[in-house]
Amino acid sequence: MNGTATPLVEMRNIEKYYGRIHALQDVNLTIRPGEIVGLLGDNGAGKSTLIKVLSGAVPYTSGKIRIKGREVTLRSTSDAIEAGIETIYQDSALVPQLSIARNLFMGRELRKGPRFFDWMDQERMNEVAGQLLKRVGISKDIPATTPIGALSGGERQAVAIARAMHFESELIILDEPTNNLGVAETQGVLRFVREVRNQGHSCIFIAHNIHHVFQVVDRMVVMRRGKVAADDLDPETSSIQEVENIITGEHLAA
Amino acid sequence: MTDTRTTAKSATPPKGPGALKRLVAMPEFAPMVLLAVMLVVFTAINPAFLSLRNISNALTFTVELGLIALAMTLLMTSGEFDLSVGSVFGFAPVVMWALFNTLGLPLFPAFLIALVVALCIGMVSGIFVTALRIPSFLVTLGMLLMVRGSALWLTSGFPQRTWDAGEQWLAAVLVGDFYIGGLRIYMSLIWFILIALAAHLLLTRTRFGNWIQATGGNEGAARNRGVPTKRVKLILFMLSAAMAGLAGIISSIRVSAANPNSGMGYELEVIAMVVIGGTVLTGGRGTIIGTVLGVLILRLMRNGIVLIGVPGLAYNIFIGAIILGMMALHAGLERRHNEGT
Repeated sequence: MNGTATPLVEMRNIEKYYGRIHALQDVNLTIRPGEIVGLLGDNGAGKSTLIKVLSGAVPYTSGKIRIKGREVTLRSTSDAIEAGIETIYQDSALVPQLSIARNLFMGRELRKGPRFFDWMDQERMNEVAGQLLKRVGISKDIPATTPIGALSGGERQAVAIARAMHFESELIILDEPTNNLGVAETQGVLRFVREVRNQGHSCIFIAHNIHHVFQVVDRMVVMRRGKVAADDLDPETSSIQEVENIITGEHLAA
Repeated sequence: MTDTRTTAKSATPPKGPGALKRLVAMPEFAPMVLLAVMLVVFTAINPAFLSLRNISNALTFTVELGLIALAMTLLMTSGEFDLSVGSVFGFAPVVMWALFNTLGLPLFPAFLIALVVALCIGMVSGIFVTALRIPSFLVTLGMLLMVRGSALWLTSGFPQRTWDAGEQWLAAVLVGDFYIGGLRIYMSLIWFILIALAAHLLLTRTRFGNWIQATGGNEGAARNRGVPTKRVKLILFMLSAAMAGLAGIISSIRVSAANPNSGMGYELEVIAMVVIGGTVLTGGRGTIIGTVLGVLILRLMRNGIVLIGVPGLAYNIFIGAIILGMMALHAGLERRHNEGT
């Protein structure tokens, strides 16, 4: 816990009300560069709300967010992407009808020729996409023109992660990336997450399956009833049982 | 379909049977086959079907609905549709000719004002759909009634005179005609071809086209990536209304009458053309080539069944059957495609 470097993300005293429901209560969260943080908590604990706040999808009632020491206001998801925060929601990150390359560059298509014609540089996009797929370690030879609809769940996650890496997102938030995936595909996704860290990106990993979280993260944060219940659990020293107790609140009863 | 998937994944470009399978999997394949069958059957029964005169006639009427169908294809690819196009088709020419006849405005400014009015109608529909999140079915149904009502009220239900127009260069540009060999070609056909080409390139090659497909395919994902999905839809609503207005004006010049009732039911015929061509009603997948085929299928069907001696009143039976057949076919292909994932 030697936090000498400037934290990548600092969320301070975040409060969020949905009408009368107090969804986030005085939440503090710090993410350091190159760190993989597991975010755990039961349904309704506030994980999703926290992530939506950080990705600019919902406004927060009060509090401060600093990115690399600079205070920011996140009004929309594009603000967050601009600030280097990329959120990959399960199954909602990609357009199934479009090709891998078109998905990778969606919203940031490469163009050529006069601006007026708005021409996409498809050859170049396909080429870059092909290299990118190799970089995230998709071993199978999939052409970049394949529609997303023809890929498996794990391959789709890989494409979404590759996209975040290519656009130099400093923080990649993965919302339940291993849900509905088979064993081999889950291992693949966990490998991508390690690859993300090796390339110097930070990552927030949200999962119901504590075993998956334990395999890749550096630190775990547990939320309960809108508050951070613990934020420095080390997967090396804590046991799964301890973490589960904090999630359910057993440790308070004991 | 599993085979298509493996071919698509192999590194080398597929040859022979693979290419054939890809052709079959294209959304344009079914309408292409249907059009070919129609041409063969109609010509076999009545060779006059392929005569220059008949083709020229069929093409003339085709383009007015076809122009709307092109814009509707883009709008439907983005996941919305517009029921008010038939009303705008009737309303825009009424506005233009009313300005020309009663205010004495020159034809070209009147034409521009009519198009701006159409754009505004599309913008209002677009704002209701995107900002208020009301389904486009309801918004454009309301707009259909309002616009048709305005056209009737403005004219007291009477057609606008267009015969005072005399020789107008605008009329010549929009619907003038010339002969290539024995084939009489109307300018509106040239406009249709140019606009179809532009729409095809827009949808398949440009960034905006990628945004249209992304908006219809997975709006949330597109928005998360910074695609301005609302602006995309708004622009397409405006485009479809403007096309409907332009088509209505072309039609009014051609038939020398601006009838406030014209264009009734066109919205459904246009949507039929688009879906027969392989564009999906729910968005994400659209094809201009398919729509051009769909336009030709519907028009040649109307023309052909009369020529082979089927009563013209039976036309709708055939169109309905084609829609149902095509939808069954597309649904079947889609299901096989999804099972492959």
